Amino acid sequence: MMCRSSRPFTDPSHAANTLVIRGRKPDVVTMAELRTDDDTWDELVDGRGKARAGATEVVRLLEGLGLSEIQERQDLAEIDILSSGITFAVYGDGRGVDRAWPFDVIPRVIAASEWRRVERGLKQRLTALNRFIDDLYNEQRIIADGVFPAELLADSVNYRPECRGIRPPHGVWAHISGSDLVRNSDGQIHVLEDNLRVPSGVSYMLENRAVSKRAFGDLFARQSIMPVDAYTDRLNEMLGSIAPPGIGWPTIAVLTPGIFNSAYFEHSFLAQRLGAVLVEGRDLIVDDDDCVYMRTIDGLERVHVIYRRVDDLFIDPEVFRDDSVIGVPGLMRAWRAGNVGIANAPGSGVADDKVVYAWVPDIIRYYLDEEPIVPNVPTYRCMYEDERRHVIDNIGDMVVKPANESGGYGLVIGNRATRTELDEAAARIEADPRNWVAQPILQLSTVPTLCDGRIEPRHVDLRPFILSGATTYVTAGGLTRVALRKGSLIVNSSQGGGSKDTWIVEDERATNAQRQSGAV
Amino acid sequence: MTRLLARVAENLYWASRYLERSEDTARIVRSFTDAMADMPTSVALTWEPLLAIAGNRELYDAGHVRVEEADIVRFIVADPANPGSVTSSVSAARDDLRTTREVVPVDAWHTVNDLYLYVSSNRESGVDRRTRNRFLARVVDENRRLDGVISSSMVRDDAHAFWRLGQWLERADMTTRVLGVRAAALLDSPDDEHGSVLWMGVLRSLSAMQMYQRTVRGPIEGGAAVRFALFDAHFPRSVAFCLDRTRKSLQYLPRSAEAQEALAAASGVLRRLPSEVSVPGADDTPPVLVGRELDEAMDEIQIALGNVHAAVADTYFSSGERRP
Repeated sequence: MMCRSSRPFTDPSHAANTLVIRGRKPDVVTMAELRTDDDTWDELVDGRGKARAGATEVVRLLEGLGLSEIQERQDLAEIDILSSGITFAVYGDGRGVDRAWPFDVIPRVIAASEWRRVERGLKQRLTALNRFIDDLYNEQRIIADGVFPAELLADSVNYRPECRGIRPPHGVWAHISGSDLVRNSDGQIHVLEDNLRVPSGVSYMLENRAVSKRAFGDLFARQSIMPVDAYTDRLNEMLGSIAPPGIGWPTIAVLTPGIFNSAYFEHSFLAQRLGAVLVEGRDLIVDDDDCVYMRTIDGLERVHVIYRRVDDLFIDPEVFRDDSVIGVPGLMRAWRAGNVGIANAPGSGVADDKVVYAWVPDIIRYYLDEEPIVPNVPTYRCMYEDERRHVIDNIGDMVVKPANESGGYGLVIGNRATRTELDEAAARIEADPRNWVAQPILQLSTVPTLCDGRIEPRHVDLRPFILSGATTYVTAGGLTRVALRKGSLIVNSSQGGGSKDTWIVEDERATNAQRQSGAV
Repeated sequence: MTRLLARVAENLYWASRYLERSEDTARIVRSFTDAMADMPTSVALTWEPLLAIAGNRELYDAGHVRVEEADIVRFIVADPANPGSVTSSVSAARDDLRTTREVVPVDAWHTVNDLYLYVSSNRESGVDRRTRNRFLARVVDENRRLDGVISSSMVRDDAHAFWRLGQWLERADMTTRVLGVRAAALLDSPDDEHGSVLWMGVLRSLSAMQMYQRTVRGPIEGGAAVRFALFDAHFPRSVAFCLDRTRKSLQYLPRSAEAQEALAAASGVLRRLPSEVSVPGADDTPPVLVGRELDEAMDEIQIALGNVHAAVADTYFSSGERRP
């Protein structure tokens, strides 16, 4: 690039250092003060107030900036989000259809060395789950071999018998998934649940990074934070790989329920990034040749791959809910005939309900003959005598959940329930053991978060996104969701949750070694 | 390249029309305010021509008794109950663009979103005379920024053709409204001592003042001003120019014969007009255009443009006519 005059080169780290040595500002932040109790694990600082692996630079910068400048960066980030129109929708919200996306400027940091293990664990998990789904809709070996009980499949609300006998490309059903991870007080990362139907949030992961690069340009220049932007390219590649054979460059469509869906922003965002056509059900038609077409200004035009963001029960009124107005009559016909690729495959949700979750460690062992790399939250299945005894004996320390999909009804949190409530829960379990599972009460980890002009620890989870096709890809980090209310564990944006950028940072020692060997 | 979805084409076309409407309306109110400020207090002033240009007098009368400046300007600039107000137009355009973000450059969305955030939080400043100019100037400027984004970074595809089609149709319509109401009234008024100031107002409301002077030269004269706004082949807001660009957008699109035919009727009206325009009292030897005829001709063109829209909707949009 041509320059009219060259400016003297300044080392950005210099500027930051002067901030630190300028002395304590009146509004100085010390991370050590954030350590309020020992039962939770903070992602940035350890029990003695020291920065955790990978977080040294962030903690140093936050301390150097002081509260008022952090607040200023937060305010700028919020303006940025408003002006970019990064929104999410809330049903029945009086303030209109879309709201600005809630974002906290202080990032969540994970050391790359730890992340590589999580990444391996997620690849392992999704490989096994896809084998499991393919098996359930075909041979059902896992049932014949007595590892997965047939009656659970019969009870599953997400099993779609209409999909029996279908073999999608690569044997993959859940192409795009998001697994929710939580870190317990012992520092161990667990999978809390798998989302294999229409997981959302990846657009916010990408936008959070764009916003945080502008807010913390100084840090991005100085350390090795793994980029996340490749996601949409990998998604494009994966979607292309499930097109019917013999198509040159496939026409890919993102199928959205429409502007009133809470994730519409994301549907539009993904279509933009993919160069795909964003369609609603009414834009598509399945013709007598069992091919899918879209209605263009010049008549019908063939569609080869559909990334559906519509629940499978609604995608085809000919096969599933006949009252669906957001679906496409005949879509299942076209899919069965191999004339269109659909991601995620209808029926993939069978592997993401609460009952199946409890079997995932067994599923991994069964299909891959490996031990799970990232553990489940221990889940006790009351249908088994020994697990049931354990639950009833320790019911005060358990969260007892109904195993089917009936929402939160019957959920009992041991340490918040009365003796009578616990006795009633135990009686319900004994009466119908198959209908109950239980988990120990978790203490989610925290990250320092800007709350009403102060920095305080708030609980977080993490949703990485996994793409499965011919190969498997895991995002570098994922979407960190944060419960903004003090003490709350509810991270959903519809219920007062916020979000943070997630930085996978090469550990300082590794980076230094690379620098010395000239490998940077 | 795949063809554009019918639903998306419709939303783009409307987004573009609404935005052009917001810009043109802002400019008209701005120049009108300017011209009124120039009039000595002895001259009886009325803001009612603004209602006539906006073309929704009935809606105004249903909700208002007084025809004072503040009421009329609020109605035209900031009234959410008026679907044609500047703020309503911006808001409708943003709604349409939200469902078509994947086909327009990302900066175009940012610009429209910024404009929306600005007008919706500064409504009243568009009414108050002290701040009105700044508010309206912002509306015009953001629209021009948007036009720059579209020109410099959008592929010339179906989406672009529908965007431009909406823009040219709306602009042609707005120019005919300004001419049909203000110019026609001025042509018929016996030579007003403030005539040239008022004609400047007409030209400014079309962003035409400077270009008129470069092209026509000499002092501002009513007949020449009308000729310039009607016939000039090189001025991008003249009726002739807008109709020509509308035709080019249609030519890009498939199956546009019916719409082109409707458009030819609009151009026909223009061709039949006498090329000489005169003000009363002048020497009328060749056939000249007087105010009443200009008004009628502009009405005819507006009707023809309505037919172009109907043909476009019929040919391309899935749900047909679903908006005012």
